Amino acid sequence: MAGRPRVGVVGVVIWPCLPDDGRHSLEEQLHRAMQATLADAGLGTEDLEGIVVASNDQYDGRAISIMMASAPLGGVDRDILSTPSAGEHAFVLGALRIASGQFRTQLVVSWSPTEASSIPEAQRLAADPYFHRRLPLDELAAAALQANVLEHAVPGAGALAEQVLASGRRNGARAFPDLVQAEVPRGGPSRWPLRHDMVPPPVTGVVALMLADEAFIAERGLGPVAWISGLGWATEPAFLGDRDLATAPALSAAAAQAYGEAGVTDARAAFDLAEVSDVTPYQALIALEGLGLASRSEWQARLAEFAPDGRLPVNLSGGIAALNPVYCTGLIRIAEVANQLRGRAVRHQKQGARRGLAHAASGPAMQYQTVVVLDAGAGRTAA
Amino acid sequence: MTGRVGIIGIGQSNFRARRDDASYPDLVREAVALAMNDAKLDFDEIEAVVYSLSPDAMVGIGNAERLGVDAVGARNKRFLRINTGGATGISSVATAWTHVAAGACDVVITAGADKVGECGDSQTVLNKIWDPMYERSLPLGTINMLAMSAVRYMHKYGMTQEDMARVVVKNRRHASKNPHAHLRKETTIEEVMASRMISWPVKLFDCCPQSSGGAAMILASERWIKARGLDAVWITGLAHSSETYYMGDRMGRGYTADHADAHALRASFRKAYAMAGIKDPRREVDVAELYAPFSNTEFHAIEAAGLAGLGESPAMLRDGAFALGCDAGAVVNPSGGVLCTNAIAVTAMSRIAEAALQVWGRAGERQVKGARLGIANGNGGDHQFFGTMVVEA
Repeated sequence: MAGRPRVGVVGVVIWPCLPDDGRHSLEEQLHRAMQATLADAGLGTEDLEGIVVASNDQYDGRAISIMMASAPLGGVDRDILSTPSAGEHAFVLGALRIASGQFRTQLVVSWSPTEASSIPEAQRLAADPYFHRRLPLDELAAAALQANVLEHAVPGAGALAEQVLASGRRNGARAFPDLVQAEVPRGGPSRWPLRHDMVPPPVTGVVALMLADEAFIAERGLGPVAWISGLGWATEPAFLGDRDLATAPALSAAAAQAYGEAGVTDARAAFDLAEVSDVTPYQALIALEGLGLASRSEWQARLAEFAPDGRLPVNLSGGIAALNPVYCTGLIRIAEVANQLRGRAVRHQKQGARRGLAHAASGPAMQYQTVVVLDAGAGRTAA
Repeated sequence: MTGRVGIIGIGQSNFRARRDDASYPDLVREAVALAMNDAKLDFDEIEAVVYSLSPDAMVGIGNAERLGVDAVGARNKRFLRINTGGATGISSVATAWTHVAAGACDVVITAGADKVGECGDSQTVLNKIWDPMYERSLPLGTINMLAMSAVRYMHKYGMTQEDMARVVVKNRRHASKNPHAHLRKETTIEEVMASRMISWPVKLFDCCPQSSGGAAMILASERWIKARGLDAVWITGLAHSSETYYMGDRMGRGYTADHADAHALRASFRKAYAMAGIKDPRREVDVAELYAPFSNTEFHAIEAAGLAGLGESPAMLRDGAFALGCDAGAVVNPSGGVLCTNAIAVTAMSRIAEAALQVWGRAGERQVKGARLGIANGNGGDHQFFGTMVVEA
């Protein structure tokens, strides 16, 4: 987006596990998230020029769930759009809308409720009705097929996945001690080779980010800011049989877009931290390769680099291995990196982080891939 | 932004009640192929895809955009889906515009399809757009929602059922000249008045059909278009604005918006006009493709677009305004409009496509002579989300 207004993240709210206290409707939760995000940015409702939301109608139990969200998020008399394909797509569109010069600010919001009687049943409705739906195929089953393919392609991948899982839980327990336990009893088989303990149960979550253009940020003296230096997104086809699930070509494409924009030539040396989407620990391994951080032949030797005290900490938040608000996990990865660069990550803050990498994946076996390069302060132009 | 964004390719199905010959992805592919042929492009030149799909339940597949990835040639490319209900089509074109205006891409396709005619009963699906605790159980549907708007408009401005029928007669006549339209048979005021009552005062002929088909449009940067010496229609204004969600907020004592009018649509047009530099729409607009799925709503759409004063449009229509061949002012819905074709996911995209074809001079028998400036809009949710656009030759 060269030559266009630079876009920064100036407000963030991450509520990765809302208590179901029965006292607050989703509308009230969204309104509170909007107010908290504006407060974090030091802005008021009058500063809101546009909104992009992302939600899943099947999880929400509504045919067009943006309708309910519009008023609580300040959408009345404003420009509000929705990207139901993925939570992180709302971030993409919010950033583009500012870069286009049409808007100075955008509120980006995604949420994931747990009231649906069965989230897997809701997911099965997304399988094509003629071939896959009757299998039945939900997202956990797709992730298990992917894990199986990876174990076949990379001997020892299962053991590496166990290490990644344990690391994620430890990080999660440090970041969210009230919500996440470092030690979880080994569970029984879920969808082979996955076990029940490998994927946390769905929780209700809300995530919101306030974006603004450089001139507005300067004019209002906003900060701290995480600048969007690179943005990439791409998709795989829907049919799992059309894909090699052990690889992620769409992720490579998205990374190439984002890195090209940010001037990243060596991903291994470019970042101070990263957040990757890891519905299963196998997906974290695939992400490391797709992002150019570690090829599969290097996983064993280089996993230590991605520990909290390593050269490139990955998922200091614990990732999805720790908390799983199903639909908005991708956008949370971006919000986590933004908060790190803004110095607002509290317990899991990496001191002095200047450049971060966010990876978000959604859909069956990581169909949608999004990569964001974020910079603290004035940003950098090249790795 | 730097430089304009132009429309360089358009594809529309010939919409029908059913398309048993084509699966949902087939319909998307059909529209994409038509647009690609129209623009004479190769898929390698498409850098991003904006997928246009309103409620999943219409096609019976959750997140059905995933199944459309190959149909739109999006594999390993930028791809996202938009849903603002009935406004989805125009919101998708606006999002494609945003991709180009932001400098992320030079060439973007937006595409989608719907099988409303094969969904069983669209009103059962659409009832699920309302809040499950309060308004869903009334039961609300989009027909009785806008029938209440008709009652209010009648009360405020004196519209009659014959005035509504006159809109149907005009649009059916227009649709008879449009090979893409679903309902192409001309009708009379008497036939409309004699058609079955659905929700007073809305009768069967006052309602849009449930259509199946697809649409696609290709947008590109001015720099890219000029480098290749291509012809284009330029998007010079665009905006969205929204109303409240709860119908109870638009009725009774203390309402926040009058259900007779379309104040958020008016606000949206005002913003789009400001961007396009339009100061007097009555004088400057040649053709308008306005989203009106029920005959009565075309009146408040015309007024929100600034083509008539509040409550004035029924009398203007009686006097011959808004029809193909009229003496002065904009022609409204020369395609036949939503009243004659409604494949919800792409209906609002067809509004822009038709306005663009008009100012391009490529509208065939339905061409408005000398059209240079067109406007379009899309309405979504429970008459909640309003997208507007200005296109110029």
